[in-house]
Amino acid sequence: KMAAAGGLRRAGWRLWRGRAVVRCQHYPPLRALQASAPLRRASNEHEKEPWTSSTQQHFDSPPAGHQPEQKPQGPHPSYTGQGGQESEDYESEEQLQHRILTAALEFVPEHGWTAEAIAEGAKTLGLSVAAAGMFHSDGSELILHFVSECNTKLSKQLEEEQKLVQLGEAEKKPVDVFLRDAVEARLRMLIPYIEKWPQALSVLLLPRNIPSSLNLLTSMIDDIWHYAGDQSTD
Amino acid sequence: LRLCRCPARALLSRFAGAPRARRGLAARPEMHFGFQTVTEEERREKIYQVFETVAKKYDVMNDSMTLGIHRVWKDILVHKMNPCPGTLLLDVAGGTGDIAFRFINYVRSVRQRQLQRKLKHHQNLSWQEIFESYQKDKFNSLGDSQVVVCDINREMLKVGKQKAQYLGYSEGLSWVLGNAEELPFDDDKFDVYTIAFGIRNVTRIDLALQEAYRVLKPGGRFLCLEFSHVSNPLLSRLYDLYSFQVIPVLGEVIAGDWKSYQYLVESIRQFPPQEELKVMIEDAGFFKVDYENLNFGIVAIHSGFKL
Repeated sequence: KMAAAGGLRRAGWRLWRGRAVVRCQHYPPLRALQASAPLRRASNEHEKEPWTSSTQQHFDSPPAGHQPEQKPQGPHPSYTGQGGQESEDYESEEQLQHRILTAALEFVPEHGWTAEAIAEGAKTLGLSVAAAGMFHSDGSELILHFVSECNTKLSKQLEEEQKLVQLGEAEKKPVDVFLRDAVEARLRMLIPYIEKWPQALSVLLLPRNIPSSLNLLTSMIDDIWHYAGDQSTD
Repeated sequence: LRLCRCPARALLSRFAGAPRARRGLAARPEMHFGFQTVTEEERREKIYQVFETVAKKYDVMNDSMTLGIHRVWKDILVHKMNPCPGTLLLDVAGGTGDIAFRFINYVRSVRQRQLQRKLKHHQNLSWQEIFESYQKDKFNSLGDSQVVVCDINREMLKVGKQKAQYLGYSEGLSWVLGNAEELPFDDDKFDVYTIAFGIRNVTRIDLALQEAYRVLKPGGRFLCLEFSHVSNPLLSRLYDLYSFQVIPVLGEVIAGDWKSYQYLVESIRQFPPQEELKVMIEDAGFFKVDYENLNFGIVAIHSGFKL
């Protein structure tokens, strides 16, 4: 009941739309149907009651195998209900798009930064190739996604290094060396996609994409300077 | 899956049942047929008759009424779909096959480009390998894409098949007689579902949307091209003038049928506007529902995804 209430509260707005769809990932007999349902939503009260009792027995089989595959890449809201097991996952459209784009990255060396790569990525997630229609046909979102992922990775890397320095396990680098290393690390992330990178750059320069790409660029620079020890406010 | 849909269906039938209850025993839900009020069955019958009569002149009338612009609208729809080879398309109410043919052309050209790109990578292969890859690709000019044209009206399908033969389309095309409110297909089958200028003639739009949701694969796309409401007041007046004064006359002169084209024009006015249709599509369970106005709202393309 607690899990149902939690799930309900969280997905309140979807309930309001009257969508009485139950996607419970821990009900193995229906897994065949729901395995292909990428978005998981909470059900409404009337359907949850009869189900919680029957899902109890299935909680014991720890589906560790399918859990990682169904989790979105980033942090996601999840609930531990009775007995500490997860009851339901709630994934938004943005998270699903995020997953599709991440899956699409591995097809970029072959297809380039195009809707085809996104379609292949969607296929690996079990979705129809038409899901690539959610994104722009020139692949801008894919590139922006990749760039922002690289920036996040760089940020984390720099943070780790800073922690090591603070713990005294590493020496503090002089600013110019630090900057050079940071930029080098960031550039190395491009190596797997280096063949198609010119295409990506040209797409990033399209007037439509300039605000987002400039934004990513400036925030990356801010990050690097922050970790380099710059205290200025601009 | 049945369990899930029942409550939704129950909600909907309650909704439809309420007016019934209000009017007493003999009442059947009243619907609009153009500006007349008829019962559901009457409406279905009348619409069937309309399209039976206009089937042979359908394409000619489309061209004359819209001054050929309907071709552009349909092109835009297929471009928006941006199908890649291997896509399975269901074109409902696709009678004379316009969308289906455009889909095949599009996929063929995309496939050509794909093969050309592959050729570039073949510079370093041996002759034997190139020969083998040619064998593989030669019989696959569509890349396994398929389109199923479904229509409730036999006459329209007949005209469509004749057109296909005349224009030389044979591969990847199939014609099925079926009702949009109750499609004769299994669940989770198609990548894209389109309905171009057809949903206006469906008696129960909500059922058609539910069926669309059912037959689409997860991640599949719903696309609807339909006449919609013009918000610009000046254009709206000109459009009304053109619709009510010119189109039925054209109908009489070219197809010999005033009434059918009067129905057409009236049904456009009765159709829900863009936002309302968007809400209906969302209610059927689609996500990322959006619409694009073409020609200031004369036509709108609604798109939704089954996620």
